[in-house]
Amino acid sequence: MKNTHVNAVVVGAGAGGGVVAKELSTAGLSVVLFERGDWVSFEDHDNDELLSQRTTVLGNAFGPDDDRYRRVLVSEDGSTGIVYPSDGAYSNVAACVGSGTVSYGAMAWRYMAEDFRMKSTYGPVGGSTLEDWPVSYDDLEHCYEKAEWEIGVAGDSSLNPFAAPRKKPYPMPPFSYNREASMLESAMKRMGLHPFPIPMLRNSVPYAGRPACARRRTCCGFACPVNAKCGTHNTVIPAALSTGNCELRTRCVVGGLIIDASGRITGVEYFDGDNTKQEQTADIIVVAASATETPRLLLNSTSKHFPSGVGNRYDWVGRNLQGHAYTGAFGLFEEDIFDDVGPGATLAVSDFSHHNPGIVGGGILANEFTRLPYLFSNIRPPGSPMWGEEHKEFQRKYFRRNIQVVGPIQEMPFFDSRVQVDPSVRDSWGIPVVRLSGRRHPKDAEGCEFLSGKAEMILKEAGASRTWRHVPGSGLSGGQHQAGTCRMGDDPHTSVTDRFGRVHDTPNVFVSDASLHVTNGGFNPALTIMALGYRVGEYIAGEWQKGNRFK
Amino acid sequence: MDSGSRISRRDFMKLATLGAGSLSLIAGCAPKHPPGRRVLSDDDAGLLGAIADRIIPPDEWPGGRENGVVSFIDRQLDGPYRRFRGDYRRGLDAMTGTCLEKHRKRFESLSAEKQTRLLGEMESGGLRDGGWKEGFSKRFFEMVRSHAMQAYYGSPRHGGNPDYASYRMMGIDYPPILGQNRYRF
Amino acid sequence: MVRTPLRILTVALVLLVAAGGGFYYYWNASSPRSTCESCHEIESSSALWAQSGHRDFLCKECHGTALSSGLHSLKEKGMMFVDHFTGGGPERIALDEEQVLEMTENCRRCHGTEYARWLSGGHSATYAAIFLNDRHNRAEQLNADCLRCHGMFYRGRIQDLVTPLSQKGPWTMAAAGQSNQPVIPCLTCHKIHREGSPAVPAEYAEPGKIFYSRRGSPSTVLFYDRYEKIHVQAPALPVLKLKENARDVKVSDDPRQRVCVQCHAPGAFHQAGTADDRTPRGVHEGLSCPACHESHSNESRQSCINCHPAISNCGLDVTKMNTTFLESRSPHNIHFVRCIDCHTKGIPPRRRPR
Repeated sequence: MKNTHVNAVVVGAGAGGGVVAKELSTAGLSVVLFERGDWVSFEDHDNDELLSQRTTVLGNAFGPDDDRYRRVLVSEDGSTGIVYPSDGAYSNVAACVGSGTVSYGAMAWRYMAEDFRMKSTYGPVGGSTLEDWPVSYDDLEHCYEKAEWEIGVAGDSSLNPFAAPRKKPYPMPPFSYNREASMLESAMKRMGLHPFPIPMLRNSVPYAGRPACARRRTCCGFACPVNAKCGTHNTVIPAALSTGNCELRTRCVVGGLIIDASGRITGVEYFDGDNTKQEQTADIIVVAASATETPRLLLNSTSKHFPSGVGNRYDWVGRNLQGHAYTGAFGLFEEDIFDDVGPGATLAVSDFSHHNPGIVGGGILANEFTRLPYLFSNIRPPGSPMWGEEHKEFQRKYFRRNIQVVGPIQEMPFFDSRVQVDPSVRDSWGIPVVRLSGRRHPKDAEGCEFLSGKAEMILKEAGASRTWRHVPGSGLSGGQHQAGTCRMGDDPHTSVTDRFGRVHDTPNVFVSDASLHVTNGGFNPALTIMALGYRVGEYIAGEWQKGNRFK
Repeated sequence: MDSGSRISRRDFMKLATLGAGSLSLIAGCAPKHPPGRRVLSDDDAGLLGAIADRIIPPDEWPGGRENGVVSFIDRQLDGPYRRFRGDYRRGLDAMTGTCLEKHRKRFESLSAEKQTRLLGEMESGGLRDGGWKEGFSKRFFEMVRSHAMQAYYGSPRHGGNPDYASYRMMGIDYPPILGQNRYRF
Repeated sequence: MVRTPLRILTVALVLLVAAGGGFYYYWNASSPRSTCESCHEIESSSALWAQSGHRDFLCKECHGTALSSGLHSLKEKGMMFVDHFTGGGPERIALDEEQVLEMTENCRRCHGTEYARWLSGGHSATYAAIFLNDRHNRAEQLNADCLRCHGMFYRGRIQDLVTPLSQKGPWTMAAAGQSNQPVIPCLTCHKIHREGSPAVPAEYAEPGKIFYSRRGSPSTVLFYDRYEKIHVQAPALPVLKLKENARDVKVSDDPRQRVCVQCHAPGAFHQAGTADDRTPRGVHEGLSCPACHESHSNESRQSCINCHPAISNCGLDVTKMNTTFLESRSPHNIHFVRCIDCHTKGIPPRRRPR
């Protein structure tokens, strides 16, 4: 049976897609929201570390599965290999209603004004496609505010002198510090730094009809049994569904855009839960499938009008894949610090986000989310045995006596870090899969060196008896913070979408996820993805109400 | 009841005996693997248990063998780690081969010092002959090491770490003591 | 001649029924060693059962038979059979909630007193009493974590059990059949497959050695963990480290209290008096829950006499003092009351506790 034509199709029910679906359906547009995964609940995998989003050794609790999905990874030496979603190199983003917002640590950062003007602030960086965003922080400020109030953020920005200016405070008070955060707070203050509670997409008090957080240890990487974590699955998506204008189709894998003879994009083709191929036509198509799957969908949609994929006339789709160079330091202490108050990460400093001598950008530093025993078994000072008596002794002596201070270094966009579609490998639906290749820009290593040094100094000041730094290698970045592959810009020759996320060369195809990020900030990106969702959704809905049908 | 279906007590007993005899049928389909295991043989389990006890040695807290490393690996080889079955076969055979050749003993019978030394050689990729070609010893060791850690420190539902022994060793409450009630009656 | 095929058929049918019936009877009446255990998944569990005080009960008395509870068990046992031969099968054989509740009735047959006590106390509450409580549901939103302590054997999700999951209500049981079932059945704190006392006759030749020949037997109380689907022995449960601001509260080391604390727990910071904490402080600090509460009924009306009036700092009848023991609205919670609460101007020196 043929599906009824709708006003808009949104591909992907994550941080970006969930927001857009809500904005459009509340504005009166009929919407079909596609999600390749399904609804998930805490009860599916509860506290199981070995399937959690941070330790996917036995599979991904939040999808996708290893049976039907795969990718091709091109290593630095040029060799290629197949990778599966439970491998780290797959750069997996969760496949479920709400996507990563179900299992994330839920840090709710606004990027700073400089993050939108990186090239103007720091000048061009050789070998990097570093650029300013076509929108400023001020353009996005009200979108951040909407995200904070509609989805729910707990925090207090008055303690962070570097925070970008805001018109309205957070809707919920901040979370209290756990023991390690209290220790770090005094150390940081002694060093003249400005610690503050991390803003969190999590209820510190009952909010929007959901309970307050119980502070469990299994939070980051897990679903919340109390429903206190705020994602799109328990806020904007239910709001969209309750309008009656939005239909959520789960377990549906969108394989390509439908392009008619005149070159107009008229809908999407997809495989439903029974793997039957179907079509859904719409006036507007919003692709919000993540910075790896969004370019894959555009590149897999070819016709004589789009011989190398939709939006790819100048070969920019899938370019500039970036994530975050996570770096920091560990410290060992001679007294118990672990108080088992979840989720662990509660305190940050933003002193090193920008204007660091010799560094382009920077990043926040925060204490880390609670690690469970298996994850901890892989954390040892350099040169320490990874097995045997000493390893076991370390495990029981230092689990309660360590602190990690860590943060995301803003990466320099690199043209040859990219998402392509593989010419031969296909997934179980026969759709060509993502092919990942590239490496980090050398400048990122300088940032890591700088930031991890600061982290180590903080730990020493806090009384650590032994410290060591960790910096990522030079290989391809991506991971859960993946971004940049359909960057927005005013010049169609050097970007994929315009300043409202509309794909150049098309009147009616939009992107609304981290693919749009020109640069990825020195912050966890979730709130910015949501804010962009509000921007794109607001623009489409506003135009629609003015009579624009995006022909 | 018609007479054709009536049976005497003696007939019933005979038939019941026959029925009981059919139990041998069950015995016939009895496990292809030793009790409690799905994939690994007794020899495999003995060898893996010995490796597990070097990776996580017993002290006042259980070693890898006692804390379920073998049963975890056995169960996962019948699940998500099915793809590693070939690697395990090759690696376990190569270890036995190397030990018989060098020491005329199986790995399980070597002293703890010799076992540790051999595993150290595997870890550093020092073994290159026989089944260890193409850097396999390093890869195999790292695989077994990480699976042993998953078994020992992971959730008991996967076959290892019965009753969360490792959590208790590390001083982590399980189940956690965590109330949340804001309701007062 | 016409009758021959019919006859053969009848005989075959009789043989089949008799053989099948015989097999069924034998299977359900034999030791697990020769039956269930020949499947290789359960031997450790059955070895525990063989050591337990319940070793005289047959498997079927708790686990049921293929025909004991209609289609449900026929399907369950049938699937075990199929799984056994197809190599699939459950990772662990565990009772489902229906069987757990049936067992509660079995327990009652021998443990009538304990059953009656349980029935008279707070721990025999039904699903309807817990999940349809208006006052609770308006104050605190129902969520998956509720099932950790109420309905821990329920195999669905909270949204399958009660609806809506909001603070507005009105609430109804989505799983209507659950309404009158108890949320904390016997198996929450007890386990059948549990090391017990082996049947060893005492050495009467040397009566003085009887005491010394006994082994310490493991605790009879455990806590059922909904997520792992395992029972954790009381002595292996974590000991609460409770704080009153910066002060460490003295907490009894009675292992039985560790079971209570699993549900009557403070908030994540382990501050005294937060969330569901009822750990004694003040004059009763250090006492364990069972020192006052009977374990099956929670009854504590008669418990003062265990220590009072022999131990009384004031020489007063403690049961008549202004505490929640006497009157539920008293400001002095019997769990937390201190000398200073009544002696607001300071404790008289000669009555200071030694």
